[in-house]
Amino acid sequence: MSRSKIIGAVEIGTSKVVVLVAEFSDGRSMNIIGSGQSTNSGMKKGEIVDIRAVSDCAHAAMNAAEKDAGERIEQVYLSMSGSHLYGFRNSGATAITGSESIVTRNDVSRAVDNAKGKALETGNVYIHHIRSGFLLDGKLVENPVGREGSHLEVQYWHVTADEQKVKDQIMVINGFGLEVNDIVISSLASGSVVASEAEKRQGVLVVDIGKGVTDFVLYKKKRVVQTGVIPVGGDHVTNDLSLGLRVKSKLAESLKKRSARAIIEKEDRVKKVQLVGDLSIGDGFHSQLTVNKITHARLEELFIILKNRLGSSLTRQNLPCGVILTGGVSRTPLIADLAEVTLDVPVSIAESPEWVRHSELQEPEYATVLGLLYNALHDQRDSAHASQQHGRKNWLSKVTGIFG
Amino acid sequence: MENEMEHPGFFTEEDPLIEDQMPDGSFTIKIIGIGGAGTNAVDRIKLEDLEQVHLTAIDTDSQVLSASPVEETFLLGRTVTNGKSTGGSVSKGQLAAEADSKALKEIVRGVDLVFIVAGLGGGTGSGAAPVLAELAREQGSLVISFNALPFKREGASRSDKAAKALALLQKHCHAVISLPNDVIFEQVDESATLMEAFATADKWIKLGVHSIWSMLFNTGLINVDFSALQSALAEPGGKTIFGTGYGKGENALEAAIKDLESCPLLHLPDTGFIKDTDQMILNLTGGPDMTMATINKAMQVIHEKFGCKNSIIMGASIDGSFYKQLRITIMGTIRGTPITKGYAPVPAASIPPNEPVAPPIRPAESFKTEPVKQTVRTAQEEFAFSRQEQNRGCFERTQQNLYEGVDLDIPTYLRRGIKISRN
Repeated sequence: MSRSKIIGAVEIGTSKVVVLVAEFSDGRSMNIIGSGQSTNSGMKKGEIVDIRAVSDCAHAAMNAAEKDAGERIEQVYLSMSGSHLYGFRNSGATAITGSESIVTRNDVSRAVDNAKGKALETGNVYIHHIRSGFLLDGKLVENPVGREGSHLEVQYWHVTADEQKVKDQIMVINGFGLEVNDIVISSLASGSVVASEAEKRQGVLVVDIGKGVTDFVLYKKKRVVQTGVIPVGGDHVTNDLSLGLRVKSKLAESLKKRSARAIIEKEDRVKKVQLVGDLSIGDGFHSQLTVNKITHARLEELFIILKNRLGSSLTRQNLPCGVILTGGVSRTPLIADLAEVTLDVPVSIAESPEWVRHSELQEPEYATVLGLLYNALHDQRDSAHASQQHGRKNWLSKVTGIFG
Repeated sequence: MENEMEHPGFFTEEDPLIEDQMPDGSFTIKIIGIGGAGTNAVDRIKLEDLEQVHLTAIDTDSQVLSASPVEETFLLGRTVTNGKSTGGSVSKGQLAAEADSKALKEIVRGVDLVFIVAGLGGGTGSGAAPVLAELAREQGSLVISFNALPFKREGASRSDKAAKALALLQKHCHAVISLPNDVIFEQVDESATLMEAFATADKWIKLGVHSIWSMLFNTGLINVDFSALQSALAEPGGKTIFGTGYGKGENALEAAIKDLESCPLLHLPDTGFIKDTDQMILNLTGGPDMTMATINKAMQVIHEKFGCKNSIIMGASIDGSFYKQLRITIMGTIRGTPITKGYAPVPAASIPPNEPVAPPIRPAESFKTEPVKQTVRTAQEEFAFSRQEQNRGCFERTQQNLYEGVDLDIPTYLRRGIKISRN
């Protein structure tokens, strides 16, 4: 039981590849012992456009993380994003056949098979089946086994992905000589660390706005009820600025990070912002108003799309804990205010959970990989003690976050 | 030159569309390798004999030709290069071909189906191949060209030359199938020798020629004959997609379809995985055990996957050695691309914003049909703006990002018509 495992969490993101290495002992606690990153040049909108470049970046990051940790990674958990991910709700139902109308394990597994059995278009594969709950004769129950009823329904949120795109990412990891233990979609990974248990119980939407895409996950009653990907991210803001101001992408990126704000304010009209910021040749001034107009238009549109995707789930009654923003773009000043106005629910910027002690890991970029480790820990524990039940608090207190 | 005398041109005098006039085997096929890469490829095809196919190697370099095992060789442009190579100069290659146009005409005279195999990016291939294609087409041959495109790493000047030559070829050939080295060599593992790597590239050319050949010559359950091929490729210009897949064993059909889907030639950046071709030829080569059910199923799957606006010509041929094996070959043509309506062009925002990217290869328009459109388009391309894709900036070469009918990659402020001021 005391054997420890070295687990690597890998996120191949549009902006960079982030790798965390953790040591799992007993399958119950983990120490994060190393990290690595490298800038990714081979992806657009969360999808691989140049597999060589992506491979090189990923391997560089994994190498760096292994070196940092001083250990070789044994198993890899990989996050997945991109507009090819597709989520849908499908439920399975069965009539209770036993003589006394008592629900048995067989009834449950029949309903579950029923729900999972939907055939996919060729070229697509299932990534997750997330159970949202059982309905016994129309009533929501936690565990139906042993209860009386005549009709059992189980609801699932399924996530599917393009098989080829999944294979490509796995191939990148295989190229490093490692197998992929499990794949977790980015939204679930970041959602699991960014939102607290209390928030998940009451209802919360986690929105991770990355460089290439925006991932979101909606929790209600501690269950995942919806996930999704919107193929718009920070790159779009940069691109809009680059086209609008007629400046190079790189300059637009740095201008965005320094000066772009999500809301247009009165004083913007007279304010000027420097393009490079050091008055070197080629530096120039742009109107803050222009920069903010472009940024505002793009981000507002993103939230409108999000609102349309979620429909009626996105109300103050349904989401008492509102929206939590994370990802690189969540650093944009005033973005929470913009989101609050557009979505009409309370919005906050994610804070790293308290068990993450190291200041570097508290940056929003690490939310996804931390989430991967969180899921990995559950996964390992489930396989180690399949029958034992532990409260989630148990392992949280044991995570020490010793780093570096 | 004696070959031609034995197979007198038949096709040009008679009406090609009347099938009965064409007894089996009465037409000639010639594979012409032009330039260094083309000659090499033909040399290797030589090793695998195909009936009724004549091979010709044409180059400006006498050394290359003297080593070639091919039955007919021709030293191009003796007067221009003195039997030395063009040294990578396209204009020299073109001059050489024009100087020897009489001899080239002689080579293609009376040949019904000409395959031109060339590596683009150098001098002879890029310069002479379009000239040869034009000559062949003028005298009535059906011209299909296979072109190896240079590696991106070889530099912009080579890919530039290749792109120009490709555009010319598209104008003159009935079908142009390009094989980018970058894509082909991705399949080769690192430990492969140089010989093996180039053999892979040639394998694709061979596969292409072979599948068209087997479509025409093997005993057919359902015949695709020469006239069908000709009518499918009736009009030069436009893009061609080509792909082939192979499967064997119990589930040969499934395996073949899978292999076809992963065929690298169907995933090229300029044609992409195109769904709506205008014309498509689908050929199945199987053993004597091939059933009608297999054919029907294949047909159905292909139709779903690739779709086709006008017609699919289907052929199924039997190869005695293909027991429990199946090869699917598709070839489709896409005529002039329709101009999609979109946002009003915004010239101000169209400065190419970031890293230098090689210009996308554009198809040559068939200017016979719509001369007016042609001129308008060239004018636009020269100025390189006021085309709406250009408003996508760094997403220019990625797939459209459609949401409720709008492309999200185009800046929001443009789509909303927000006025912005610059200084």
